[in-house]
Amino acid sequence: MKAMVVDDSRSIRRIVGDILREAGFEVADAANGRLALSLLESGFKPDVALIDWNMPEMNGIDLVKEIRSRSEYDDVPLMMVTTETEMERMAAAFVAGANEYLMKPFDREAILEKLQILGVGI
Amino acid sequence: MSFEDTELIKEFVVESQEHLSDVEEKLLAMEEQGDNIDVSVVNTVFRAVHSIKGAAGFMGLNTLEKLAHRGEEVLNKLRSKEIRPTSDVINALLRATDRIKFLLDSIETSNELDISDQLKMLGEILDCEEPSSLSQSFDGGAKQLPETQRKALDIQLSEEALREFLEECIENTDQLEQDLLAIEEHCDDDTIINRIFRSIHTIKGSSGFVGYTELESLAHAAEDLLVLIRDGKLQFHKSMSHVLLKCIDVIRSMIKALESKDSSLALDGMELIASLRLLQQEKPAPRNKPLGPSDLASEHHTPTASPETEIEKGEIPMVTSIVPTVSSASSVPVLPSSSKSDAVATQNKAVPDTNLQESSIRVDVSILDKLMTCVGELVLARNQILQHSNRSSDGGLQASAQRLNIITSELQEHVMKTRMQPIGNVWSKFPRLVRDLAVICGKQVRIEMEGKETELDKTIIEAVKDPLTHLVRNTVDHGIETPQARIQKGKSPEGCLYLRAYHEGGLVNIEIADDGSGLDLDRIRAKALERNLVSPDVLAKMSDRDVAQLIFVPGFSTAEKVSNVSGRGVGMDVVKTNIEKIGGSVDLQTQRHIGTTIRIKIPLTLAIIPAIIVLDNQRRYAIPQVNLVELVRLEGHDEVQKVEWIQGAPVYRLRGKLLPLVFLNEALRTGASETNANLESLNIVVLKAEDRQFGLVVDRIIDSEEIVVKPLSKQLKGLTAYSGTTIMGDGKVALILDVIGLAKSSSVLSSNPETNGVEMQDKNSNNGSNSQTLLVVDVNESERCAIPLSQITRLEKLDPRRIEVSNHQEVIQYRNCILPLMRLDRVLGTGGSYREDTEIDVIVYTTDERSVGLVVHQVVDITETVVKVEKKSTQIGRTGSMILLDQVTELLDLPGLLSLAN
Repeated sequence: MKAMVVDDSRSIRRIVGDILREAGFEVADAANGRLALSLLESGFKPDVALIDWNMPEMNGIDLVKEIRSRSEYDDVPLMMVTTETEMERMAAAFVAGANEYLMKPFDREAILEKLQILGVGI
Repeated sequence: MSFEDTELIKEFVVESQEHLSDVEEKLLAMEEQGDNIDVSVVNTVFRAVHSIKGAAGFMGLNTLEKLAHRGEEVLNKLRSKEIRPTSDVINALLRATDRIKFLLDSIETSNELDISDQLKMLGEILDCEEPSSLSQSFDGGAKQLPETQRKALDIQLSEEALREFLEECIENTDQLEQDLLAIEEHCDDDTIINRIFRSIHTIKGSSGFVGYTELESLAHAAEDLLVLIRDGKLQFHKSMSHVLLKCIDVIRSMIKALESKDSSLALDGMELIASLRLLQQEKPAPRNKPLGPSDLASEHHTPTASPETEIEKGEIPMVTSIVPTVSSASSVPVLPSSSKSDAVATQNKAVPDTNLQESSIRVDVSILDKLMTCVGELVLARNQILQHSNRSSDGGLQASAQRLNIITSELQEHVMKTRMQPIGNVWSKFPRLVRDLAVICGKQVRIEMEGKETELDKTIIEAVKDPLTHLVRNTVDHGIETPQARIQKGKSPEGCLYLRAYHEGGLVNIEIADDGSGLDLDRIRAKALERNLVSPDVLAKMSDRDVAQLIFVPGFSTAEKVSNVSGRGVGMDVVKTNIEKIGGSVDLQTQRHIGTTIRIKIPLTLAIIPAIIVLDNQRRYAIPQVNLVELVRLEGHDEVQKVEWIQGAPVYRLRGKLLPLVFLNEALRTGASETNANLESLNIVVLKAEDRQFGLVVDRIIDSEEIVVKPLSKQLKGLTAYSGTTIMGDGKVALILDVIGLAKSSSVLSSNPETNGVEMQDKNSNNGSNSQTLLVVDVNESERCAIPLSQITRLEKLDPRRIEVSNHQEVIQYRNCILPLMRLDRVLGTGGSYREDTEIDVIVYTTDERSVGLVVHQVVDITETVVKVEKKSTQIGRTGSMILLDQVTELLDLPGLLSLAN
C-alpha cells in the first residue's frame, strides 16, 4: 500500500508519514500541490493521499481538482487534512473531489479509522 | 435553505450526478459476482456515496445526507462481507441511488422531499432503524481533541520528529518576523499577509500535532486575527505587528523550552492571547483597498459575526450539522463560499515561493566538518606528492600530480562552499533589533542591506554575530540622532543604518554605516585624557582618524551614561578583540554630523589560510599572513648593529619609528641559535598585533604557502605562543605562531595602552608640553636620575675593556669614531662604582656632529609621565627633583649638563 502525504509543514509530513509507515504503508511526501503533482507524474501511484489545505505554490483544494481532472487517479481516495478554521470550506473540497477529511490534530487511531472508512487498509 | 453559495451547490449536483452515473452498472455487477464480490468495486461506490454524504452535510442538505448515509452503511457491510449482494440488497441500493439522483435534480426543495420508503428498505437490510456506529465517522477525527490538554513539554515524539518540529518552528518564526517587519512598510501587501498567515498556520498545525497546547493556542489566536486581516475585515496597523512580534518572542521562548526540556524558559502566552482577541474585536476598518475576490467572499457574512468567533464559542459546524437526527437546516452556521478559497488559491499562486525542497538537502554540520578535515588531509597529501613529483624526472608522474593538484584545489573550494552561509543569516535578526531599539530610544531608523548573500564560513558567521550585533546596537543608540535633532540639522527625521557586505581580495568586508551624528572627537579627546588613556602630548599629535580609533582602547566608552541599550558591559575593545581573534580587522571612519562607517575585514575561512613559513633554530613555523606587514632583511654587520637596546629590549629604527624586536628563539626559549652580535644578516618579519607592530627575528624566511590549520592537542592548548599546527609538504609538523600571544608573552603588547604607546613617543621634540618620556637611570646604588628621552640619541651597551684613555679622557671606539666618555657620577659629583666586568650602559648624546657617551651605573626604565618638578634646581643641567617610580629622582637637562662638563 502506498500513501502520499502533502503538507508544507515538514514536521507534519514526518509525523503523519511515521504513523502511516508504521501501519505498513510505503509513504512519499510533497511540500505543496505542485510538488505532489510532479511526484505523481514521476510514476508514484498512491492508494490514498492525505492533503493539507493551506500550502504555497498550489493549495490543497487545487491539488484535489488537478488530481480529479486526470482520469488515471479517479479511484485514488483523497483525504483533506483540515483545521477547524478550514472546516467551513470542506463542502467545496468534497465537491472538488475529496472523499474524506481528517481534522488536526489527530492521532494514529483517527488516521486508521478514516483509512478504514475509505476502504484503504492493510 | 441556509447555504447560500448556489454556484457551489450547482457544481455539487453536477459532480454527484457524474459519480452516480456508473453506480447502477456497478451495483448490477456486484449482484452477479455474488460471494466473489470485488471489494474494489464496492469501495468505488462507497466513496462516491460517502463524498455526497459529506458535502451534503456541510451544505445543509439534510435529506440527501440522511439517505446517502444509510446507503453508505449498507455498502460498508457489503464491503466487509457482513451481508451478501443479494437481489434485495442491490435492489434497495438501486432504489436509493435513484432517489438520490432525484434529490439532486430538485436540489432546492430536496430537504422537503420524502425519503422514508428508501430509508425503510435500507433499514430492513441493516436490520435496524437506527443508524449504526458508522454515523460517527465524520467526527472521529475530532474526538481526541480534549485529550490534547496534555502538559506542555510532556511530548512523546521521536527525537528526529521533535528536532524537525523545532527546526521548522524556528524557520517559521524567522520568516514571520521578517514579514511582520515588511508589512509595517506595506500594509496592503496581500502576498506578505498570506505568507504571515501561512507561517502562523503551520506553527499552529504542527504544534497541535506534537501536543504542545500552549503554543498551539497562542498560534491559534494569532491565526484568527490574521484571518480577519487577510479577508479584509480588519485593517492591519502597527499595534497589531507589535503584539504579533511579541508573540514571536513567546513562541521562541516556548521552542527554547522544548528544546532544552526546561519548561521554566517558556514565557506565558495567556496575556498575549487576550491582546490578540482584543484586537480581533476592533471595528472593521474602512476599506481603502479595491474590492478583491477575497472581499467578495466576505460579503456573504453578516459583518457582526465572523465564522471564527463562532468557532471560538464552540459551535463547531460539523458537530451540529452531521448528527443525522432532527438537526434543522438553520443550525448550520454561515459558511463562506468557495470563491474565498479560490481567492486564496490565486493569491498563493502569486507568491514567488522559492522552493528549496527540490534542490537542497539538510546535512549534519558534523559531516561537513569531517569532510573539511578530509579535504585538509588531501591538501597535505597533495603537497607531498607535488614535492616528490618536482624532484622526479618522470613526466607521467608530474602530469598526474598536476591533475591531482587542480582537482584537489577545486574540491577544496567546493567543500568550503558547503560550509558557507550568507551573512544575511545574521543580518536577518537586525531589522527587529533595530526596530525595537529605535522604539526604546525614541528614534526613527531605517535599515538597508546590501550584499546579504555574501557568504562566509559557518564558524566565522558565528564569531561575527555578537560583534556585529553590538555595533548595530551602538549605531542606533549613539550614532543616530533623535528625529528632532535630525530635523534641526536639516536631515530627514528617519536615520539610516546601512549594512553592506562584499568580497575583496580574499577577505569579506562588512560595513556598518549610518548617517547619524558621527563621533564627537573633542569629547573622545577629553574622555581619553580623563581616563588617562593617552597623554596630552601624544594626543596633540594624533590625527583625527587616530583619535576616532581611541574608542577601541580598553576602558573607553563615549556614552555619557551607559544605557541599557548598548551598554552591556562590553566595549568597543571587545568587539575589536573578537574580530581580531578570527584574523579580522576593524576600521572606523567618521565625520561629524554626517555619519560613521565601521568597516570590518574578515577572512573567508579559518580552516585553510595563507601563511608565511619561517625557519628558526632548525624548526619551521607558520605565521598567518593576516598578521604580516612586511619583511625586512638587514644585510651586513653594520646594518645588524643598528639594532638598539632600550631597557634590555632590542628595537630597530624602521623608517623613523622604533620597532620592538622579538627574537623567536628567545621568545620560545628554544635556545640561542647564534648570537645577534656575530650575525651577518638579520631577517625581521614585521607583524601587527592588535594596533602595534613588532619585528620577529627569525633565522630564515622560507616561503608563503596555503596551510591547513589543525587544532593543538588538549595538552598544548594552554600555550599562548601557538595557535595551531599544520603539516608541511614533506609530512613534518610545523607549529603555527599566535602572533598576538607571542607579542604579549614578549611584553611587546601589554594590556596597558600607555606602554603600547612607545612607538608614538619617538619624536625628537619636546614642544613645551609637560608630559615627557623619561629615561630613568641609576647614578649609583642609591641615587637616581631621569633624562628626557628626546635628548638622547642612542643607548648602547659597551664592553668596558674597550675603554681607552686619550688626553686624560676616557674614550671608546664607536662606529669608527672616537667617542669621549663621561661618568655620570663624576659629572654630578656624587661618586659611585662601576662594574668593570660586565657591559656598561652608555647614553649617547649627539649634537652638531659631536657625540658624547654618558656612562651610567644602570638603565632602569623608560617611562612616560607628566613632569611635575617638586623642587626646582637653579644649577645648570639640573631641572629639579621629582618623584618617579616611587623614588626621588633628579631630572637632568643633558645639553646643559654637558656644556657645563666641557
